[in-house]
Amino acid sequence: MPDSLLAIERLRVDFPEVVAVNDLSLALDPGDVCGLIGPNGAGKTTTMRAISGLQEFTRGSVKVGGHELSSEPDELKKRLGFMPDFCPTYDQLTTSEFLEHFARAFDVPDRAKRINDCLELTWLTDKRHSLCEELSRGMKQRLVLAKTLLPDPQVLLLDEPASGLDPLGRIELRKILLQLHDAGKTVLISSHILSELSGFCNKAAIMERGKLVKFGTITELGAQMGKRRMSVKWRVAENGALQILNAHRAVKNLETAGLGAAFDFEGEPDALDDLLKTLVVQGVRVCEWRGVGDDLEQIFLQSGAKELM
Amino acid sequence: MKLFENPIFLTHKRLVHRGGVLAAILIAALIGFSLLAGLVSYLAEPDDFHFSSPQEAGKTFFGWTIGAEILVLVIGGFSRIARALADDRKAGLWDSNRLTPLKPSQLVLGYWLGPALREFYMAGVLAGFGLIIVLADHLPITLWLGTQILIASTALFFGLLGILAGMAFQRSQGVLIFLVFLFAYPFSFIAPSRMLTNFLLPIYGITNLFQTEHSNLGRDWSSPPEIFGLPIYPILLSLGLQFIIGIFIWRALVRKTANPFQPLLLRWEAVVLFVILVASQHSLLWDLWRGHFPEAAASGRDNERESLLSVVHGGTIITGILLLTFASPLPERVRVESLRLGFKHLGAIFSRSAVSVALVLAAIAGAALLTQFAFSLAGSIRIYAVATVNLAEIFLVFALLLEFCRLRHKRRALGFMAFWLFLLCIIPFILGGVLSSETLARISLLSPGFIALSDRNNPDWQLLFYTVLAHFGVVVLLFIAWQRQWKRLLEKAH
Repeated sequence: MPDSLLAIERLRVDFPEVVAVNDLSLALDPGDVCGLIGPNGAGKTTTMRAISGLQEFTRGSVKVGGHELSSEPDELKKRLGFMPDFCPTYDQLTTSEFLEHFARAFDVPDRAKRINDCLELTWLTDKRHSLCEELSRGMKQRLVLAKTLLPDPQVLLLDEPASGLDPLGRIELRKILLQLHDAGKTVLISSHILSELSGFCNKAAIMERGKLVKFGTITELGAQMGKRRMSVKWRVAENGALQILNAHRAVKNLETAGLGAAFDFEGEPDALDDLLKTLVVQGVRVCEWRGVGDDLEQIFLQSGAKELM
Repeated sequence: MKLFENPIFLTHKRLVHRGGVLAAILIAALIGFSLLAGLVSYLAEPDDFHFSSPQEAGKTFFGWTIGAEILVLVIGGFSRIARALADDRKAGLWDSNRLTPLKPSQLVLGYWLGPALREFYMAGVLAGFGLIIVLADHLPITLWLGTQILIASTALFFGLLGILAGMAFQRSQGVLIFLVFLFAYPFSFIAPSRMLTNFLLPIYGITNLFQTEHSNLGRDWSSPPEIFGLPIYPILLSLGLQFIIGIFIWRALVRKTANPFQPLLLRWEAVVLFVILVASQHSLLWDLWRGHFPEAAASGRDNERESLLSVVHGGTIITGILLLTFASPLPERVRVESLRLGFKHLGAIFSRSAVSVALVLAAIAGAALLTQFAFSLAGSIRIYAVATVNLAEIFLVFALLLEFCRLRHKRRALGFMAFWLFLLCIIPFILGGVLSSETLARISLLSPGFIALSDRNNPDWQLLFYTVLAHFGVVVLLFIAWQRQWKRLLEKAH
């Protein structure tokens, strides 16, 4: 994995009674946004802590931008930002003072401007003089994200960034993450709430009991899926559509509901595209065509990593 | 990076100032002003006071200022630093700071000097009033300078200990340690110039500065301490000890900051620290017996201090146990190392374990104790042998138990450790008291060494030997259990 920005090879973390992370290897390229998915206790947080250097690992290697964690930890720290699943802040500092603390620690050039930029990016500019203790959970979460972004790291590790946020907070966070995605950051983001991750992850890594059970691009993983549940709706009653669906070999468990149907599709993604094309060509006025649950949810459900859910 | 660019220092400075410093400074100023007013009042109306001379009055008022300074700077500073670090650890800020490119030494420096700034300011104000009192009363300026140097050095030393406490303990545990310290410290006053603790904390140095030829405290506090019979300035001894031990603590803190999974002390550091402490302590005692223990030296000085060597024996036990705790590796870390390096044999465990350190510490303690017996060993071999073997057994039992309990009981290790130590050390005393049997009390793991060193005129040597032998049996049993636990862990690891 020579060109990968984040390269993890055979990472193993041992806890007294359990192997928390077992032979985990993955590589992320510049611009990749990878969802680290798994049930509680799968080893997501431990993996992130090990990558950032907070958790000692038994063996394996972690490289960021070619710099090995064990031999060049300082170089790695400059390139890596880790946002934990809780919000460590100095409650008696204002948000800008809190960011100034870390800007100094990272020796960020042009501190004041960078702090302003990060406050703006996380929509906290109007809170720059507020004490950290006065912020809501969502705002603290954004502040910690701003802190993580201060040194402009190439790789971001975000551990359960939306945990404890209300729906509005989640929407705001999602917008910020999309901005990061657009800015070309390499992001490894963990969550057990899959809807948080859908839409902007181009890769997924599924963990279960410390092991990586699946890793790849969403497209690759989607292609590996044995079946996926689909939902289709049309404008007017269409018996023809039901006939087409019934006749297709890959369509199973067809259920009709009003002006539409739901079914399992056991075939290649291309075949699914062809099925849609056939419906349209046959004059079916399709107004909705989607997977039940998003891609990540389907990939996860079929990965076998659900015993602990 | 300079101190005033250190973000940890700057942030804690900010937090201290945000919490307010003016009230604290005003309190210190009020205390200082009251004492100065007392002196001025005495100088105006000497008959209203009971001081025999202006010097005595000045020293008394100055003594109160430095008492307040010590309270604020040393004790207040220690607890402030320990609390700040414990709080930051709990909040996750310690880890956040560790993830920055700040060097571990910069992190430690920031916590060392930042959180206790309020106490520094207060001490500065008190020191200022102390200087005015010294000048107003025409006391020697060296009195002020010497005390300030000692207080500053002790504050820095305790600041490092505060970081250590903040790293290792929760807030409530820090209070417990302080209480234990307060309980144990009075033993130091049995022979002030001969107890190392009076120099580690510069109690002797400061008291000595206040002494005059006509002092009523006598030679206990006015004569210089002696290292193997050679007099040395108490201030130098205190500064030297604090500096050397401070370097070891600093190294441990920096290393622990860089990698919190390592034991606090490396094995060689524990050994060297023990050598420094034990050798210094026995060198301070040298003049009492000059190698002819138990016979007092020809000078006859301090021959009333018959129990002194057993007090030192107790101090050696406490020091050894502390160092063994700090140098003992967590089993999980050894297991991970075994997985990483692939070793499976007990030899590798032994070379990493605190058990081998315990043996080395016992040998060092034995060698140090030998200095008191150098010329009387033929006649006192039984005393020496019982004391040394007992010390070795205590260290070994502690090291074996510590690792056995960690391996066997994991998170409950501390409780079981306390249980076994209670059973071996304390229960015999309780049973001895309840059943009015001195013999029962003598079978405690702690007893033989103390009995041999203090009750040397008429001890029951046979009982002592059997007791030591029985304790050796305990060591062997523990060793077997310890070995089994390690084997089990290694098997599980591979």
